[in-house]
Amino acid sequence: MEATLEQHLDETMKNPAVVGVLVTDQQGHNLGCRGSLADEHGGVVSVLAKQAAALTRDPTDTPTVCLESDTGNILVRTHGTITVAVHKIAS
Amino acid sequence: MGCCYSDESETAEQDPDERKRLIPPPNPDSKPLNGTEWSAANVPSARTDEQALLTSILTKTAQNIIDVSAADSQGMEQHEYMDKARQYSTKLAVLSNTLPQKKAHLLSSLTSQPHQVLASDLVPYSDVQQVSKIAAYAYSAISQIKVDAKEELVVQFAIP
Repeated sequence: MEATLEQHLDETMKNPAVVGVLVTDQQGHNLGCRGSLADEHGGVVSVLAKQAAALTRDPTDTPTVCLESDTGNILVRTHGTITVAVHKIAS
Repeated sequence: MGCCYSDESETAEQDPDERKRLIPPPNPDSKPLNGTEWSAANVPSARTDEQALLTSILTKTAQNIIDVSAADSQGMEQHEYMDKARQYSTKLAVLSNTLPQKKAHLLSSLTSQPHQVLASDLVPYSDVQQVSKIAAYAYSAISQIKVDAKEELVVQFAIP
């Protein structure tokens, strides 16, 4: 059943700027990861997204958390019950 | 008796000083209570049963009351006070040298050019949109993972 998700992650990695992708559930449990993002990042990613969502009262206004560094950005976004993090390098 | 670890039977082991009065009871001759004079001479005259009861209650209360304001307060003289203050401050100075100083853990400063960092280019909006799309696709892919019930969870044992 997870074939669709695995395929989607592989397709995301095909993008040359993307070096890592991670999908977690609401508790930080890793549902799938590739590249630079791994199991141990699941907790941090889910918590960051949850805390950012608490900044606004509007439940439809989902924020995208961006961790910017010199080498690249990690963008974290929640959709429904899952949180996705994408690590892109400056190309 | 209501609080943890207390027992009525432990009275014998208690420190005998524990129940001693901290403030010595005021001398009844020199300290009048509420402005009225108490002396044994007033009591015997014109005594009915009710009066006797009242006076006994009053004497008992007067004996048991601890009048904090009337107690003799040991005032310290100025030089004694200064001496003690000096003593305590020297003790503190000695202790503060030996104790490790606890530094407040401040956030590490990331850059010396905050305005430059804040004014630099934003994360490209196309990236944000891309991540949004990836998240939406991932969510729909996840929804395909569901419980596939093949058999009954609860079965009856065949009882002949």
